[in-house]
Amino acid sequence: MAAPTKTSSAFPSPYEIATPPGCEGWQEMYPYYAVFDESRREADESRFWFWNSMHFPVPMPAFDVACIDAPYQAVGEWQNRFFAVPPAMGIDYRIVNGYVYISGNPVTDPAKIAERVEYFQHRAGYYFEHWEELYAKWKQKMEALIAEITALPVPDLPEYEPDELMLEDEWNTAFYEILEAYSRTLRCGDLMWQHHFELLLLGYGAYVTFHDFCKTALPDIPDQHIAQMVAGIDVLLFKPSEELRRLAKLAIDSGVDGAFVEGRSPREIDAELEQSAAGRSWLAELERVKDPWFNMATGDGLYHYYRNWYDDPTIPYASIAGHVRALQEGEDVERPSDEIARERERLAEEYGALLDHANRKTFHELLGLSRMVFPYVEEHKFFCDYWFLTRWWNKIREFGALLATHGFLEDSEDIFQLGRHEVATALDELLLTWATGGTPLGPTYWPPIVARRKELLEKLAGWTPPPAIGATPDAITDPMSIMLWGVTTERVQEWANADEGGSQLRGAAAAPGLVEGVARVVIEIEEIAAVRDGDVLVCPITSPAWAPIFSSVKAVVTDIGGVMSHAAIVCREYGLPAVVGTGRATAKIRTGQMIRVDGSNGLVTILDAKE
Amino acid sequence: MTTSYIRPLAELRRADADEFGGKSANLGDLLSAGIPVPPGFAVGAAGYRAFVEETGLGGTVAAALSRASAGDVRAIGTAAKAIDEAMRFAPLSDSLRAELGRCYEELALATGEERPPVAVRSSALGEDSQEASHAGQQESFLWVRGLEQVCDAVRDCWVSLFSPQAISYRATLGAAGTEPAMGVTIQAMVDAEVSGVMFTCNPVSGDPSMVALNASWGLGIAVVGGEVTPDDYLVSKITREVVRETVSAKHVEYVPDEAGRGTVRRDVPQERRDAPCLGAEALAVLIDVARLVERHFGGHQDIEWAIARGQPLPEALRVLQARPVTTLPDPPPKLSGTALSLVLSTFGAPPQTSEQP
Repeated sequence: MAAPTKTSSAFPSPYEIATPPGCEGWQEMYPYYAVFDESRREADESRFWFWNSMHFPVPMPAFDVACIDAPYQAVGEWQNRFFAVPPAMGIDYRIVNGYVYISGNPVTDPAKIAERVEYFQHRAGYYFEHWEELYAKWKQKMEALIAEITALPVPDLPEYEPDELMLEDEWNTAFYEILEAYSRTLRCGDLMWQHHFELLLLGYGAYVTFHDFCKTALPDIPDQHIAQMVAGIDVLLFKPSEELRRLAKLAIDSGVDGAFVEGRSPREIDAELEQSAAGRSWLAELERVKDPWFNMATGDGLYHYYRNWYDDPTIPYASIAGHVRALQEGEDVERPSDEIARERERLAEEYGALLDHANRKTFHELLGLSRMVFPYVEEHKFFCDYWFLTRWWNKIREFGALLATHGFLEDSEDIFQLGRHEVATALDELLLTWATGGTPLGPTYWPPIVARRKELLEKLAGWTPPPAIGATPDAITDPMSIMLWGVTTERVQEWANADEGGSQLRGAAAAPGLVEGVARVVIEIEEIAAVRDGDVLVCPITSPAWAPIFSSVKAVVTDIGGVMSHAAIVCREYGLPAVVGTGRATAKIRTGQMIRVDGSNGLVTILDAKE
Repeated sequence: MTTSYIRPLAELRRADADEFGGKSANLGDLLSAGIPVPPGFAVGAAGYRAFVEETGLGGTVAAALSRASAGDVRAIGTAAKAIDEAMRFAPLSDSLRAELGRCYEELALATGEERPPVAVRSSALGEDSQEASHAGQQESFLWVRGLEQVCDAVRDCWVSLFSPQAISYRATLGAAGTEPAMGVTIQAMVDAEVSGVMFTCNPVSGDPSMVALNASWGLGIAVVGGEVTPDDYLVSKITREVVRETVSAKHVEYVPDEAGRGTVRRDVPQERRDAPCLGAEALAVLIDVARLVERHFGGHQDIEWAIARGQPLPEALRVLQARPVTTLPDPPPKLSGTALSLVLSTFGAPPQTSEQP
């Protein structure tokens, strides 16, 4: 990022942000390095930080900080230490009142940039040249890692160790096995993040380059057409939705669609289906579909709150019920893949034909490159953020259960109120006192800490973080900020000029179309069930995991995200008008207000602005 | 008939521009490509020359023009007035009248109307119609009915060759003394419910994948003359999706004067003012025609069109005129380099040069 203007910024200083009443001492939830510390005030105050509400829309529970540290270790590693992206090192983060702010570290020395260019060209070139082979290996690595985290045993603590300890060389003591399992669980998480970012930078880079090329050569081309030309036909991420549509059709064909009454819980639906042979055979088919497609998450995966569909089938059942209704009303819910494939080729050919010879050649080459990387861009979410992470959180829950069994926690879920190193400490004491037969301090030490932190998170959730803090940058040049978060120079200027009292919000025009409708503000996944047909979804970020409900909403508005954010890509697939990166839609818009979403111009207007 | 001054529009091609003028030649060319242009006929420059010769006006014209010089506004005004007075009521020759009558009769048969309303327009010689518009030789008479009125309108077009602007323009070109001439286009009128213009690209951004349209109620003069803010549409040529639509309040429209020759300006009834005047079907038909015209001429075109009242689409759509787009923004800077080097430059790596190993 360019040199900031130090004197007066449009954004508040991170050091002058007040602590919400009753939240004093929130810093104790987080590592010492994760906060704006007085000792680095001068440096931190003159940097530009933006709220990463795309990945972290709600206050961070202590354990979930693992999903800040590891991804930023991994992205920094690949971007800065391996690919040596010339102008950008990694991304620093700080937590303010529970919310995560990030800031890129630029490379400014021209000699250093030149040195990095050498590395970057050599290594990025290799990856593009061997992409398909590397991505095939990548998938194998991820599947192996998912299998490992699923199978990883968290042993119980026995009264006495078994004979195997003396009979088998490989057998280890329970205390060691548990410490080893916990440590391995954390390392599996780190490994996933390592894999996650191996291909991400280049994958997004290729797509963004094609997008920018199209926008230069064909300035009015709708983003959706660019996405359509690139999008895969047989994409993993759409499989779960396809399977749900198939199940809805099966329910109708086998006459059990009557079970899907609006407002029924999955449990109630199951209970009715159990009553008939046809219902039981439908349930058997559902079981078959679950592996692997129910490894979708209920949210974007970076919090422990998001469960997979096995654990929380609200979304798939609501989606099946919606498809059943649509089919009963004679609508076609199939994704017409032949038609999509034909249209994809037609668009590419016709747009290409409008360009002159040299540009046409580049257009087709970039399109080819984008299509090559796109399976990874779309599918890594499923492998990493959904399939792996929901299982990883469940593995942590097993350690939570162990601590709860021994009185260190009141409930296994409470483990997420402890930092990962605190969990290691608690396990150390548990294993120490279990081994010695001594009396643990944990059962009196941890529960009050957990209770206080739960209270803190609840109170912090009521605070609205400003979209940016620190210095106002002259320009945003960090490729990652632009590509992944849609934080561009224009967006920052809009944030800076935001009129607090106005009824208009400006964001990126992510998918075209103009609609008016009733706003439904959804911050957390539990609120999804309240979304009604024809609502306009207003949320921190649209997660692809929410895709199944996109068939019922009219438009989407988000706080953060660029036209290239994972979510925007999926949004366009559903043809929904979308304005992303408004900065503060969830804070300014209330559920029930009439709003107008102009997805072509990136404008959201609150039509009845009175409270 | 030994001399013929008139040809049906459908027979003309671009090469006929020197004799029949750019407008007539262009319309003929469009017709030949199957583009729905209203039928009509064209008077060639020879018709004008015969008129001058038969009426003996050649001397009057030459004398008046000899006294007009570039920059002398007063002298030009005097010359224009003298020619106007001499020419305005001069009779057309019997042979030309007869030929116009026969063609008008044929048009009556083709349109099924006894006295079909026609547009009579100047058609400046040569292909560069931009130049003609500078010269003020763009006289148009709309909603002309009956042979008498047609003959008058043809002559009025010729008179417009000697408007003060036209004389002045030729004077600045140093062609003040040369004998000017022009063609005239006579074409069936379209009772337009909606009309407007469209470009086969976005003239603002230069995007070749878009058709940019302006449309308003009634005849096209309200749009061309800037009397209303038209509805504005940007539509993808490739998918026919409306990418941008701005509907404006369209307060006035021009409709044919039921009393006879000409048009009347009237207020648009409240309920239609803010209504979009083009729907998805009309836009789709327009886009198809835009692509057809663009393909036929092999370049971007500025097209005037009208949708006839009381007729179903696509038949209701008529193309009235097509001109090459001459004012386009600079093409985007060449996005040079290989795809890979462009991707690398997204990450701030400079494009590879040939000096590198």
